[in-house]
Amino acid sequence: MSSRILDRRDFLRVLGIGGAAATLAGCGNTSIESGKELVMSYVQPEDFVVPGVGVYYASTCTQCGSGCGIMGRVREGRILKLEGNPQSLISAGKICGLGQAGVQVHYNPDRLRTPLMREGDTLKPVSWEKAQASLNSRLGPASTLAGNQIAFLTGEISGHQKVMVEALLESFGSDNHVVYDALSTVTGRAASKAVIGESLPVLKIDQARMILSFGNDFLGSGVSPVYMAAQYARFRKAPRGTLVQIEPRMTLTGANADRWYAIKPGTEGVFALGLAHALLAHESYAHSLPAELEAALKPYDKDTVSEVTGVHAEAIPHLAGMLWEKSPSLVLSGPSAEGHVRGFNNAAAIQLLNLILNNRGRSLLGSAVHPFPQLVSATGSYSALVKLNQDMSAGRVQTLLLVGTNPVFTAPTFLPFANNLSKVPFKVAFVTQLDETAHQCDLVLPLLSPLEDFGTHVASYQPSGVEVQIQQPLMEKLYPETRGFGDILLELVKLRRPEVYKAFPDYYSYLKTAVTKAKPVFKATTGDDEFWEDALRSGVLRLDLPAAALESKEGASVVQVDTPRVLDTDVHYPFFFVPSVRADLRDGRHANLPWLQESPDPLTTVVWDSWVDIHPKTANEMQIREGDILEVQSATGSMRAKAYLFPGIQPDTVSMPLGQGHTAYGRYADGMGVNPFKLFDPMFDEKTGELALYATRVIIKKTGENALVVKDEGPTSLQQNRKLVATIGADQAQLAKENAHVTE
Amino acid sequence: MNVCIKKLMVWLSLWALVGSALAEPFAPGGAIGSQTDDGYNALGPVVEQPFEFPHNVHAGQMGINCMYCHTYARRSAVSGIPRLDKCMGCHKLIESVKDKPRIKKLFEYWDKKEPIPWKKVHDLPDFVRFNHERHIQRFYFREKRSIRETCGYCHGDVASMTTARRVKALSMGWCISCHQKEHLENASTTKTSNGPNDCWQCHK
Repeated sequence: MSSRILDRRDFLRVLGIGGAAATLAGCGNTSIESGKELVMSYVQPEDFVVPGVGVYYASTCTQCGSGCGIMGRVREGRILKLEGNPQSLISAGKICGLGQAGVQVHYNPDRLRTPLMREGDTLKPVSWEKAQASLNSRLGPASTLAGNQIAFLTGEISGHQKVMVEALLESFGSDNHVVYDALSTVTGRAASKAVIGESLPVLKIDQARMILSFGNDFLGSGVSPVYMAAQYARFRKAPRGTLVQIEPRMTLTGANADRWYAIKPGTEGVFALGLAHALLAHESYAHSLPAELEAALKPYDKDTVSEVTGVHAEAIPHLAGMLWEKSPSLVLSGPSAEGHVRGFNNAAAIQLLNLILNNRGRSLLGSAVHPFPQLVSATGSYSALVKLNQDMSAGRVQTLLLVGTNPVFTAPTFLPFANNLSKVPFKVAFVTQLDETAHQCDLVLPLLSPLEDFGTHVASYQPSGVEVQIQQPLMEKLYPETRGFGDILLELVKLRRPEVYKAFPDYYSYLKTAVTKAKPVFKATTGDDEFWEDALRSGVLRLDLPAAALESKEGASVVQVDTPRVLDTDVHYPFFFVPSVRADLRDGRHANLPWLQESPDPLTTVVWDSWVDIHPKTANEMQIREGDILEVQSATGSMRAKAYLFPGIQPDTVSMPLGQGHTAYGRYADGMGVNPFKLFDPMFDEKTGELALYATRVIIKKTGENALVVKDEGPTSLQQNRKLVATIGADQAQLAKENAHVTE
Repeated sequence: MNVCIKKLMVWLSLWALVGSALAEPFAPGGAIGSQTDDGYNALGPVVEQPFEFPHNVHAGQMGINCMYCHTYARRSAVSGIPRLDKCMGCHKLIESVKDKPRIKKLFEYWDKKEPIPWKKVHDLPDFVRFNHERHIQRFYFREKRSIRETCGYCHGDVASMTTARRVKALSMGWCISCHQKEHLENASTTKTSNGPNDCWQCHK
């Protein structure tokens, strides 16, 4: 007992004395203050403005390309919180966590507040006059740039911002608009276009009775997660639809599935063809494929497929039986199936199942023909960056403008983007906050935040008809030296094409004119001003258009059927490496938002860090415990991160989340975790040339160090080794018997 | 060992007691001032304002209803400072006082289109949410008490002040002392009820 320092009684006694002190200190009302803070009034507010009462304004979320309509609650001139806009079909009054964090882009303390110009090795703050003069001298009427010597590198971009980008380029006779997306979906879209006739068909999730998804994370990091989640909720209402997910590493969608199968990365196509083979055994589906193709599927029996894919052989007849019964179904391919050397073929084989199951026209519809093709979202790809990289390397690019993308962070190491960027004589970045790429530019211009700027957006995924989303400022700009992206471009285009653009004093007036010109398309009978006011008020311009029919010339013939073959084992790099895309951090562009850093990853609950997912069985064999610092080494690079034992992963696979590992992206991003983009091997889809993100192989080495994995998850997942909640395998469950027992 | 630590803890606690008593001097106007009838009166400090607004002229001599200027009190949690164009709405037309220094200052702010940087007199801590709207609706509109009584219960007799000065403690005990009283539900009934006593009504 001598080791006891302070027992409970002592503790209470001390607390009692301390507490008395605290009570005395609390006497009086010293926290009531008079004359300390200012209380400012409005000068001439709108009549509806009442201090203390929030007013909601409609705008558009720009956190991802889904184009959700949002409503911002504004009080005393400050934007406080974002909600979904009920008038937008895409968001239907809802918004995701990523969207909620939009206010932190706006209020981020690391916002860039003045233009920066390169002086030697550093970027120095300069006045706008100086920045503008530098821009004008390079891009003004006296510019010697011609044709594709000027390039504009953007992320996914749509609406009138895209029009302005292209107008500026066009004024030089350039069509060098490079759209780069580190998480490119080009391979999947190409396969979908070839097999079912549309690159991004409308998915009627709520009409399907079963969804079979090969790594498509439509509830998490997919193309329109808020809309799809609402559809999914309807899909789950009675009669409850069944979701089956097949992927190497569990996604958020996988975690929601009724059945989840771990598959060896890259063998999804083999599994799909095996399933196709099994489906054709039913008389209703027999002969739904050309005879040649049907014959070629012969070797894809369940045992061979099981051997190749690592999925239990009985899964195939089981799934085939479910798909026969639950029609219409919906078969989706996703990034983990598409990001391989044979990625296109994997995706085509997966889409083939939709053809066999006759889902076209039932759960898969064509999207409407867009009345404004110039506003349609420009889809990013990796191959576009490769071409730009070649052009920069060969000295063909004299001026590069960048917005909405951070290739120095996301480009793989074997693409020496940063090196080649330095060969471009004049590089201008438009940013709200400095990032790794902007740090290498010659001129960095501070943009208004998305909550301070005007714009229009057209989402790439249009669930029904067409929506043009209006973005409007929700509050006055915080920093006087920031400017709107559209305004800066308009000023430049005015210098080049005064005859066309001189009528517009600012981007707002350009936007208003452009939108009201489209009035007849929306069959509006109101006046121009009224139409514009209505558009701002509702935040969305909707046009109901009939879905186009889905047809494809090539169809099933695109799918190449080879002899199924077990994947080679790599003695040097025995593990498959798959990145996981977090629904909040995505490719790392949101790592500067502390709400997203501190919100636990939905599957592992880890916060503020990177980690290596490893299957508990594999970890046990290698004697790896949680928190052991592992070195993950590919042929391209290596990095260290803590081990996290995760049962939702294929045992021969390890995974790391993307998005962390920033070095120059503000106080909340820098030094958090590592950047797995730098691990990727130079593997490309053989059809589209896109980087195969899921095809890298690695070796895992223990470093002998261990650190605490910071996560929300408590010991409940292990049930404190006491089996608090007993579980048995689904195949051992005998529900009929158990129910009988209950009724006895 | 055990005894040593115990002694140390007791000493530390005693010093904490002395220290905290010394660290809380009787700040001017901050501590409870002269105790009067309800035991909660506490005169706040004189707050220097950009210029001396004469409540006594507006609410006193002219008898203008408080809510004519503090129009938000019945609509929002905060009563708000009147919008500048509200001042100008009258004063543009009142020739007789146009040359007075205070009015000249008002016009200066108006010409610059700048709000007047008034200092807050009744500033509750951030963890307290007082709602003007509920109190005004209950006592002025439903119970039909006079505006001077309704506002004055917390703000004192503003009609006799120039710039406002805090006269009540605005402490939790003071709030509760009134919430525990029975108040008429409206002017045409004898039914009474008291104010809410849940913590979360004010501490959200």
